[in-house]
Amino acid sequence: MKPLFSSFLFAAAALALAAAASTGTEPGISFEYHRYDELRKALVSVWLQCPTITRIYTIGESFEGRELLVLEMSDNPGTHEPGEPEFKYIANMHGNEAVGRELVIYLAQYLCNQYQQGNDTIIELIHNTRIHLMPSMNPDGFEKAASQPGEIKDWFVGRSNAQGVDLNRNFPDLDRIVYINEREGGANNHLLQNMKKAVDENTKLAPETKAVIHWIMDIPFVLSANLHGGDVVANYPYDETRSESAHEYSASPDDVMFKSLARAYSMFNPVMSDPHRPPCRKNDDDSSFKDGITNGGAWYSVPGGMQDFNYLSSNCFEITLELSCDKFPNEEMLKNYWEQNRDSLVNYIEQTHRGVKGFVRDLQGSPISNATISVEGIDHDITTAKDGDYWRLLAPGNYKVAASAPGFLTVIKKVAVPYSPATRVDFELESLMERKEEEREELMDWWKMMSETLNF
Amino acid sequence: MASKRVGLFVLLQLVVLNVVSQTSAFPTPTASADDKTVYNRQLTEERPLQEQIAEADSVKAAVQSAESKQPATSKDAEPEQGDDFTMLKSLADGQKSKEAPEGPVKKGDHQYVPDESDSTKSRRLADDYDSTKHGMDYDDPESFRQVDGTPLTAEDIVQKIANKIYEEDDRGVFDRIVSKLLKLGLITENQADTLEYQVAEALQDLITKNAKNNEIEDMDQESRGEQDDLGSDTDAWETPRRRYDEEDDDEVANNDDDETADEVDRDAEEDVDNSWDKEKEEGNEVNPEDGLQDLQYFPNFYRLLKSLDSEQDAQERETLITIMKTLIDFVKMMVKYGTITPEEGVSYLENLDAMIAMQTKNKLGKSLVVPDISGLTGKNFDEDDNTKSETAKMQKEYENLKDSTKEEQPSTETNQPAKSETYLEAIRKNIEWLKKHNKEEGKNDYDLSKLKDFMDQQVDSYIEKGIIAKDEGDTIKRIYSSL
Repeated sequence: MKPLFSSFLFAAAALALAAAASTGTEPGISFEYHRYDELRKALVSVWLQCPTITRIYTIGESFEGRELLVLEMSDNPGTHEPGEPEFKYIANMHGNEAVGRELVIYLAQYLCNQYQQGNDTIIELIHNTRIHLMPSMNPDGFEKAASQPGEIKDWFVGRSNAQGVDLNRNFPDLDRIVYINEREGGANNHLLQNMKKAVDENTKLAPETKAVIHWIMDIPFVLSANLHGGDVVANYPYDETRSESAHEYSASPDDVMFKSLARAYSMFNPVMSDPHRPPCRKNDDDSSFKDGITNGGAWYSVPGGMQDFNYLSSNCFEITLELSCDKFPNEEMLKNYWEQNRDSLVNYIEQTHRGVKGFVRDLQGSPISNATISVEGIDHDITTAKDGDYWRLLAPGNYKVAASAPGFLTVIKKVAVPYSPATRVDFELESLMERKEEEREELMDWWKMMSETLNF
Repeated sequence: MASKRVGLFVLLQLVVLNVVSQTSAFPTPTASADDKTVYNRQLTEERPLQEQIAEADSVKAAVQSAESKQPATSKDAEPEQGDDFTMLKSLADGQKSKEAPEGPVKKGDHQYVPDESDSTKSRRLADDYDSTKHGMDYDDPESFRQVDGTPLTAEDIVQKIANKIYEEDDRGVFDRIVSKLLKLGLITENQADTLEYQVAEALQDLITKNAKNNEIEDMDQESRGEQDDLGSDTDAWETPRRRYDEEDDDEVANNDDDETADEVDRDAEEDVDNSWDKEKEEGNEVNPEDGLQDLQYFPNFYRLLKSLDSEQDAQERETLITIMKTLIDFVKMMVKYGTITPEEGVSYLENLDAMIAMQTKNKLGKSLVVPDISGLTGKNFDEDDNTKSETAKMQKEYENLKDSTKEEQPSTETNQPAKSETYLEAIRKNIEWLKKHNKEEGKNDYDLSKLKDFMDQQVDSYIEKGIIAKDEGDTIKRIYSSL
C-alpha cells in the first residue's frame, strides 16, 4: 500500500508542476485540454474570481445529460440592459474540433484577469456589451473524441453528437425559404415560424440544437461566431448555395458587412491572414479564401448550418471561424493557438458596436417591441427587442433607415454611418389612432367653424 | 326659405360625404405591411414547414453522401460512430440495469429478522425502499421462500448467515449485514445483539458438524457442487457468497460496498437460479450465466479465462476473476458517487479489456512492476501478490494506452485536493481586487457579509442547476465563511 500511495502523491505533484509550467506568459491560464468536469470547474473558477461581472448558466442538456454551460460576462450579469448589445461565442459544436472549446475557456479567464488588472479596453467592452461564452455545444462528442487512445485523433470520431447527428447540419434550413422568397416575394428575415411545431415537436432536432434555438430566440443577440477546426479561415453567409451546386458564391443581403466582420477577425490572426499560407492539406481547394475570409457557399455548400440559421431566424449576424488545420491538435500547441487568436477574439467582440442603434418608442415614450428596422438597399430587416432597442450592423456609408410597426406610421431617417462606434438613432412613432384622432379633431374644428359661419 | 334649407341640407350631405370619403383616403402606410404579413402567413406558415423538413432530410442525405470537404466520406465514419455509440450505450445500460434490482432482494431477506410473523408486511417494506423493484422479485422462490413455498423463518436467516460466515471464514460478513440493517432501522441494537448470539451458536454447530464430515473449505466456485447438502434453499446465497469473497478484498465495513455488491448480486442470483443444475454438471467450466454477467462485456478477458482451463491455472483464473470483479465494482462505486461519470467508467473498462487483449499473449505471473498510480484503482490488494502484480500490470498497460489529451484517471483524483486550491485561489483574487477597487474609488470597506450572502445564494442556485457539485459548493461556502 505504501509504495502505491507515494507514487500517487508523486504523480499528483508532477501533474501540478506540469500544469504550472504550461501557463507561460499568461498568468492564471493553464493551456491544457479540459474534459467536461474540468471545463465546468474552469468556468466556476472564473466566476469565483470575478463574481460581480460573470454568471454561469445552462441552456439545457446534451443527449447524454451534460450541461450546455454558458459563462456570461457583463457589468450587470443576468440582465439585459436596454440598449446594451448581446454577443455570443459558441465552440465545439463538432466535438472533435477542440481548439475553439479551449480558446473560449482561455478567453473567459483572460477577460476576467484583464478586467481586474485595469485594462481599459476590456473594462469598456464588458461594461457596454453582454458577452456569452459557450465553450462546448457538443460535450458528448468531445468526450468521445478525447477518449481516443494515442496522439492522433480521428477526423470524424466525436464530430457528431451522441446520437450521431451532425449538429451543423441539423438546424432548420431557412436558406431554402429565403431563396424562394427572393424570387417570389416574401419575408426577408425571421423565417422560423411556429416555434412549437418546427422545434419542440420536431423529432429530428438533437437536444443540443433545440437548446441553442431556444437560446437564440430568447436573447436578442446582435453578433456571434461559431468556432470550428480543420482549416484556417473566417467564413460568412450564406453557407448554402442558391443553385444547389457544390460551390457557388452565395451572397447575403449583408454581404458587405459580413466581409467586414470576417476581416475584423482574420486580420488579427497572423496565420489566418497570411496570404502565403499553404493550404492545410496538399489537395485542399482554398481558392475562395481571400485575406483569410471566405463566403460559405463559395467554399462548399452547407445546408442546415447554425450560422445561416442565426441570420435568417433572428437579428443575429454570425460567422464561422475555422481556427486550426488540425481538428484536435496536441496539447502543447494550445498556447500557440491562443497567441494567434487572442486579439482577434477580443476585436471581434468589439464589432458589436458598429452601424446604427437606438430605441423605437411611441409618442408617449413607451417602447415599441418587435418594430421593424429596415435599411434601404439591404433586403434584410431586423426587429426591436422587448425594450424597443435595436442594433443594426452596417458598414460605413450613407443610409436611409426606416422604423415601422403595425398600427404606427413609418418614420424614415437619413444617417451617415462611420466605421465605429455605432450611431445612435431613435425613433418616435405616431400611432394610426393618434393620427386619426388628430384628423378627427381637425374635422370637428372645421365643422364648428362651418356651423358658426352658416349659423346652424 | 324651404328650398334654401333643402339646398343647404343637400350641400351639407355632400360635404359630409366628401369628408367621410376623404377620411378613408387618409394615408395608411402600414397597409402594405399588413399585406405583407398576410402574404407571409401563406408562404411561411402553411407551405414551407413540411417542405422544409423534407428538404432538410433530402439535402442532408445528399450532403452526407457527398461530403466534399473531408478526404473520406462521412458515411464511412457513421457506422463507426454508431458502433461506438451502441457499445458504449449497452455498457452504460448494462451497468445501470444491474444497479436497479439488486437492493430489494437482500433487504427483503433481512427484513425477516425483526418481523418473523408476517411475510407480506415485510415485503411491502421492500417495496418502499426500492421503487425499481421488479415483479420478478415476488416470483423468485429462492429469496423469500423455501422450496416448499413457506416463507423463510428467522431461524433460516440465522442459519444462512452462519453458513456464509463459515464459508468465507470471515466474521465481517455478519458485521456488514447487521450494520446495514441497523442503518436502515430494521432492527434495534438489542435485536442485533440477539442475532449475534444466535449466529454465533449456529456457526459453532456448523463448525463441529463440518469438521466431522471432513469437508475441505474451498473458496473456488467449484465449492458450489458441495452445496447440495445444504439444500436448494440456499441457492440464492451461493453466488452472493462468491461475490462476497471478492468483497473481502475491498475496504471493509463500508455499507455502500455491500449495496454495490448487492446490486450486482441480483443479476447473478437470478441466473444462478435458472441454470443451477446445469452448472453443477458442467463442473469447472466458466459459464457466462453463473454470475460472471459483468464480464460478458469483456470478450478478451473471457478468452483469457477460457485459456486457463487446466488444474494448475485454476488458482490464477480465480485470481483474475477476483481482480476484474473488484475493478468493476470499484468503477461502479466511483460512478455511483459521482467521482467519475458513467461514460468515463465505461471507457475505462473498455480500455481495460483492450489492454487485456494485448496481455493475453503473455502468461500470468510476470514479475512485479512498480505501478504508475491512478487513483481509480489505488485499492487495497494486499492479500495476494499475484493479484497485486496483475493489477499493477493492467494499470501500467492502461497508462500506455491512454489518450494524449489529459491524464484522465489521475486528474479525477488529483483534482480533488487541487480543486479546492483552484477555487481558493480564485476567491482570493476576487477579494484582493475588491479591496483594491474599493480603495481606489474611495469607498469604505466592502461589505463582506453581503458578498458572502450573495455568494452563498449563488452557490445554492448553481448546485440546483447542476453547475456545481454539492461538495464543491460546500467548499466554496466554507472558504467564504472563513474569510
